[in-house]
Amino acid sequence: MTKLAVISGGLREPSSTRLLADRIVAAVESALAQKAMAATSAVVELRPLGHAIIDTMLTGFANSELESAFETVADADGVIAVTPAFNASFSGLFKSFFDVLPAESLSEMPVLIAATGGTERHSLVLEHALRPMFSYLHAIVAPTGVYAATEDFGAQHGSVGLTERISKAAADFARLLQACGPRARRDVFTEELTEMEQLLAGATGPGNEDGNVED
Amino acid sequence: MQFGIFTVGDVTTDPTTGATPSEAERIRATVTIAKKAEEVELDIFATGEHHNPPFVPSSPTTLLGYIAAQTERLLLSTSTTLITTNDPVKIAEDFSVLQHLSGGRVDVMLGRGNTGPVYPWFGQDIRAAIPLTVEHYGLLRRLWREEVVDWSGKYRTPLQGFTLAPQPLDGVPPFVWHGSIRTPEVAELAAYHGDGFFANHIFWPPSHTKRMVQLYRQRFEHYGHGSAEQAIVGLGGQVFMRPNSQDAVAEFRPYFDNAPVYGHGPSLEDFMAQTPLTVGSPQQVIDRTLSFREYAGDYQRQLFLVDHAGLPLKTVLEQLDLLGEEVVPVLRKEFRVGRPVHVPDAPTHESLVQAANTEDGEEGVHNTPKEQQP
Repeated sequence: MTKLAVISGGLREPSSTRLLADRIVAAVESALAQKAMAATSAVVELRPLGHAIIDTMLTGFANSELESAFETVADADGVIAVTPAFNASFSGLFKSFFDVLPAESLSEMPVLIAATGGTERHSLVLEHALRPMFSYLHAIVAPTGVYAATEDFGAQHGSVGLTERISKAAADFARLLQACGPRARRDVFTEELTEMEQLLAGATGPGNEDGNVED
Repeated sequence: MQFGIFTVGDVTTDPTTGATPSEAERIRATVTIAKKAEEVELDIFATGEHHNPPFVPSSPTTLLGYIAAQTERLLLSTSTTLITTNDPVKIAEDFSVLQHLSGGRVDVMLGRGNTGPVYPWFGQDIRAAIPLTVEHYGLLRRLWREEVVDWSGKYRTPLQGFTLAPQPLDGVPPFVWHGSIRTPEVAELAAYHGDGFFANHIFWPPSHTKRMVQLYRQRFEHYGHGSAEQAIVGLGGQVFMRPNSQDAVAEFRPYFDNAPVYGHGPSLEDFMAQTPLTVGSPQQVIDRTLSFREYAGDYQRQLFLVDHAGLPLKTVLEQLDLLGEEVVPVLRKEFRVGRPVHVPDAPTHESLVQAANTEDGEEGVHNTPKEQQP
């Protein structure tokens, strides 16, 4: 069972960002089904977490709702991340979620990036904002993202184009998920503990009288 | 079980009056607060260490030495002493002198410090904080336990034939706690050496403290210092009290809302629900504090933060009256109920001297403190 976490940064209700996210999820599930891979998906809507995200920035710890969202993301085999384009980048709320997401939550995580915007002139937000951030977070970003402008949701010819782009991105992502397989979560807590154990054993353990730390 | 207060030493504007104490006023107030802690029969006063405004305690043993001279019983400690940016030789010297001056009424809580710019001011680098902690603390332990120390390491000039002066009082170093806000490394360090583990318990939810304390207890047992239940645990806590709980909430709210660190964030109510902060009646503080045992086990030390965020001195002294008269006596009594006999108290100078004398009769006991110089 492939676990998908869907992060939607849309602000309005109904939200074109969420609409795009839902279409991508359906397409990815369908592409996985063709590979006989079953999938489940869980959506993390950022709007209801807005206050909690800022509080976490200010206090250093997340409340239980946000913790639960972090868990959904960290426990997934793949992430579909969708944001509205604001001022030539992702929305501040979208970025803020990843700013407070615990370290290594996305390492080696297959990620499909997508964005919505008023016009297609903002489409490079995928390549100039989302892709570098997810690369920095050590995610494995699928080569094909999806950008949807207002026109894609309106005009007939636009919709057809968007459907094709979603199908293409979903097929690529499904191949990536298949190749990556079930994801092994990193356990930073245990990693830190093990490093400390080794450091103590090397530095001050019996038999090392001079207290040297190895270079 | 020991009860006391710990201070950050912040100079913060009182948000209800706009008044900001001078550094001199804040330092004097801190002394008054410590003396009051003894007067209301609390056990411990601990000061933070900071090297940047708006904080005043940059020289903790100077402050504690001054307080020691004006108190009789109060145990003096820190919250925390920076093991990273202080020279371990200077820590050993300062606390040895403080031990002698205070008649052994001193222990020390070590911490790394999480303010990046402070490290280079003292010739260090925050990126090396963990190996620096391990090396510095390894040296500090030897300085307090070996008469002549030859040492070389990565972060400090080597020592050849160094003898600490003065030697620890009665040949027994101060008991060491390791203070932690977040990281498992601190629990591991404390467990490895069989030292005390102090969870800050202010900035994080109880679930986190539970995990850290459990880890420390398991590792304490793993390293052979005793059973998990015998590990030495301290907890922070944050309270504000008035006889009527609504009065406490109304009075504390502006201080909470504007407090350094977490102000302008979650509501007071959310923060009280998510962290151990208790604002209310003395009975509410008693009930909440007793509940800490449910996730930390039977523990040894409870310190409260009562003097931050611009609270005026008069208010802080009133808080200490409530703690001393209404809260702590009940906590002392209630925490004894059901406490297993094999759970020790926190080590004190007297108990450590006694233990050292007992160990001196046994051959080859690990970490036996050296005899004092003639």
